[in-house]
Amino acid sequence: MTKEMIRRNAADNVYLHKDFHGALSTGLAYLEQRYGAEAVRDYLRQFASTFYAGVTGAINERGLIALREHLERIYALEGGQIRITCTPDELLLEVEACPAVTHMRQHGYAVAPLFYETSKTVYAAICEGTPFESEWLRYDEESGRSAVRFRRRQP
Amino acid sequence: MIPCTEFIPAYSELFKYLDAAGGREAVLDFWHYLSDHFLQNLRDLVVANGIRGCWLYWNHTLNEEAADFTMELDEEAGEFSITMHRCPSKGMLLDVKQIEPYHDYCGHCDVLYRRVLEPLGYEYIYDMSETSQARCRLTVRRKA
Repeated sequence: MTKEMIRRNAADNVYLHKDFHGALSTGLAYLEQRYGAEAVRDYLRQFASTFYAGVTGAINERGLIALREHLERIYALEGGQIRITCTPDELLLEVEACPAVTHMRQHGYAVAPLFYETSKTVYAAICEGTPFESEWLRYDEESGRSAVRFRRRQP
Repeated sequence: MIPCTEFIPAYSELFKYLDAAGGREAVLDFWHYLSDHFLQNLRDLVVANGIRGCWLYWNHTLNEEAADFTMELDEEAGEFSITMHRCPSKGMLLDVKQIEPYHDYCGHCDVLYRRVLEPLGYEYIYDMSETSQARCRLTVRRKA
């Protein structure tokens, strides 16, 4: 029987709690079970159009380079291996293994059937109101390996 | 992908989405579901280690969340507490300009953990009086 005490400041640690992916996955599973698949997409669309409004604005100002910077930033945060090829008219994102799916698989969290919508729907929402659109090319449920193309909308 | 560092705004927006769909009852229903399906590790740790299970659980999560906190454990007294000097989640929601936090965002901490700990024989006391400044205090005490 012991007494213990610890005191931590925010600066003592790096903010990176990957178990949050499991919580989001649980939330999406709940939403689909109670309200249906379209509610999952509707919620993610609302979230992305608000929270990532700055990314959308930057794409309008600077083109796909702004999207590239966003994608590189979020995958670098979690050590995700990605390959990006980018021209002024098209960007191809290839994800070797989704860091979120990898973490959930490694730690026994259930991956929601619609978890891929955290990329597919979120990217589409970010592109809303810009000259670009996203095309979901492929996705592997086990690893989260995926590819998505962003290209200039056709008139 | 939504990185884990941007989960908290997504979480708060989910509460708002559910509230708009079905009011407070819908949010509570989700919190109960999340507690039952996502907090099995807290439940397992407390079953296996008693009050120390709380220490083990929050020592992991709060350090990864880079929280500003004091955590205390007194196994003989059967008491565990967290004094949150600056909650990283609520703090982030207060700092983010593009979204308004769910009005009862901190309520999830009251519901989720209480639902795990009370059936295991513990009192769960949660002081939310200063959550508007991202501060709170949580005490878990073994029932006599």
